[in-house]
Amino acid sequence: MNKFLKYNVLLLLITLIMLSLMVACSSGNEKGEDGTEKSDDSTAEGGEGEISGELEIQYFVGGYGDSWWKEVIADFQEEYPDVSIVEHAGPNINEEMRSRWVSNDPPDVVYIDGAGSSETQMVEDGQLMNLTEWLQEMELENGDKLADSFIVEPATYDGEIYSLPLVFDTWGTWYDKALFEEKGYEVPTDFDSFMSSMEEIKEGEDIDPLVTSGQHPYYFLRGMLYPAFGAAGGDELLADLIQGKEGAWTQDVVLDTMKKVETMAAEGMFDSGLGALNHTQSQMNFLLHENVFVPVGFWLPNEMANDIPEGFEFGFIPSPMQDAGDPYAVVPDLRPLAIAENAENPEAAKAFVEFAFTRDYAMSFSEHTGAIMNLTGVDLSQSDDVPSYLTEANAMINDPEQVQIYHKPHPMSADLETPIGNALMSLMLGNMTAEEFVEEAEKAAAEYRS
Amino acid sequence: MVQSKKQKYMFLAFCLIPTFIMFAIFTLYPLFSGLYYSFFDWSGSAQNKEFIGIDNYIKLIKDAIIPNTIIHDYFLVVTKVIGIMILAMFFAVALTQLKIKEAPFYRIVFFFPNIMSVVVIGILWTFIYNPSMGLVNSGLEFLGLESLAKPWLGSETWALPSLVLPSIWAGIGLFMLMLMGGIANVSKSYYEAAEIDGATEWQQFWKVTLPLVWPQIKISILYIVITTLNGSFIIVQVMTGGGPNNSTHVMGSYLYQQAFVQYNFGYGATIGVMILILSLITVLILQFFMRRDKVEY
Repeated sequence: MNKFLKYNVLLLLITLIMLSLMVACSSGNEKGEDGTEKSDDSTAEGGEGEISGELEIQYFVGGYGDSWWKEVIADFQEEYPDVSIVEHAGPNINEEMRSRWVSNDPPDVVYIDGAGSSETQMVEDGQLMNLTEWLQEMELENGDKLADSFIVEPATYDGEIYSLPLVFDTWGTWYDKALFEEKGYEVPTDFDSFMSSMEEIKEGEDIDPLVTSGQHPYYFLRGMLYPAFGAAGGDELLADLIQGKEGAWTQDVVLDTMKKVETMAAEGMFDSGLGALNHTQSQMNFLLHENVFVPVGFWLPNEMANDIPEGFEFGFIPSPMQDAGDPYAVVPDLRPLAIAENAENPEAAKAFVEFAFTRDYAMSFSEHTGAIMNLTGVDLSQSDDVPSYLTEANAMINDPEQVQIYHKPHPMSADLETPIGNALMSLMLGNMTAEEFVEEAEKAAAEYRS
Repeated sequence: MVQSKKQKYMFLAFCLIPTFIMFAIFTLYPLFSGLYYSFFDWSGSAQNKEFIGIDNYIKLIKDAIIPNTIIHDYFLVVTKVIGIMILAMFFAVALTQLKIKEAPFYRIVFFFPNIMSVVVIGILWTFIYNPSMGLVNSGLEFLGLESLAKPWLGSETWALPSLVLPSIWAGIGLFMLMLMGGIANVSKSYYEAAEIDGATEWQQFWKVTLPLVWPQIKISILYIVITTLNGSFIIVQVMTGGGPNNSTHVMGSYLYQQAFVQYNFGYGATIGVMILILSLITVLILQFFMRRDKVEY
């Protein structure tokens, strides 16, 4: 009897284990079947049904807003109904998601932009998936290879690609076209005309003409100095400066450029209170005509949409820091889309990235944000919803007679950008000479290299 | 009923253990993990970190910005202690001794900044200091002192002193209430006796009020010192972000910049250890200098 009981219990246990295994397997199968079934449906609609599961997308919401993202995500959801999408979005999303990245539980797709994010740092930390091979397979809606369709090539780290540049932004100098036309002020075309225009405005309007955010001195670095360095020494100089190569910052060509900044400070062209201004305050000053020039990116009109005074008309020129006779210079600033190295659903992540990179979405990006997506062959003049400043700027940037495009190898590391920005602030406030600045910058570069 | 020894210990354990567990989780653990991270080269945004021994401490000693942040911190400590204590004492004496009818109203008005978030105070004062539309420069212009108007927070020279005013303004109320409590406890008879002896109000303040409220003064000073060393970074972060050109960075804001802007979390932790040590030393020194026998009349 006892033996019989023992046997029975053993049998029961085995049955239970078998059952639980079957349940486990079958639930997996069910998912598979479910997926396949739906894949049949969606194949009929032209989608790829095997993409399923949860897809987490992290995107920063700043000056470009989030309406474009909402549209793309909604369309993707419709195309891939088996995917459940979790959006992590907002102006502080980089800080909010930091603990997820630290604990190796990142979202699948990340749009790298805004404060608290650094593509360079993420690559150094091995957090992004190597996309070099996959990029070669990617195609746009008409069959063009994506790799050949970027306006600006993806950043490379030792020849490898870890992110795909989604947003093509260019820092330049903004002015109020209406004011310039009304008062007959000259729109600057090079550094000399920039200075004479600012002098005229300083007298005419009784204001300091140029403003930037003193709390973020890198705005001036990226918005004014990168183009100036590009114009003066090309891609090579830009790369040397950004990578902090020995002796790069003390070269004569850099000193000459910094002398221009020193002159601007000495002539009182900078807003005397800019040292304390943050991002929004500096842009607000510009809109209120406390100043007439501000060097920022294409986000400005969209971000300040609610505060634009009546009659204000945005005008954009590449920052006129180049010598007379040279074309304007722009240095594109790219905001990339990437996939986490430890993405839990890499297939869905890849599907989303591929889905977002189309010329249709590039057009809608310009309509939604007033900025440009990093794809060639998009005729912005075709759409009435694209703001006029953007079509004009786009035409200007694409005319090599007028504008020369220079490229930086990758963004400058915060470890170098911060001390250089601080010294730059001092130079702009007139508390430092150009010679002292280049010495400080060289010192910061030496520290960065070490 | 007499408690057994076991009951007594049970009660003690009931009171102490939860507190100790909380203390261990929320104070000791972060403290030691901060110390632990200070020996690593870690970006703070990924899992991989490298043990580098005391390299962060060597970097700390060599960092030219660190001495300035310490000076800025102690500048704020000294100016805040002097400013807050003088004004708080003045208001406390005025509201208790001068028999002002509207005393309760003033008490509320002076305490008001204490219930406001420091962030709100920072933003409010940023507007007050705004070079073109701020109250300070407009006030100076109204008084015909345009030559004194300047971009307060945007100047490398004036930005740090400009932070003192909001810090004092925000701190007066609490310490005024503490001192008022102390003064209220001083028996009226001492003042009557002093008056009969012919002591002036001024002498009464120095010889009666001040010695008798010394414990409150001592606690207030310690509290201001500790909160300034640990918390002044909020007002710096909100009003200037440490700029222009590091001219307002205090230890805390520099820690934040290193750990969260420049991705040197390990180095940030090292700065945290330095803040802890400096705060401890400061408090010990203060305790030593403010030793005074309790005065009783």
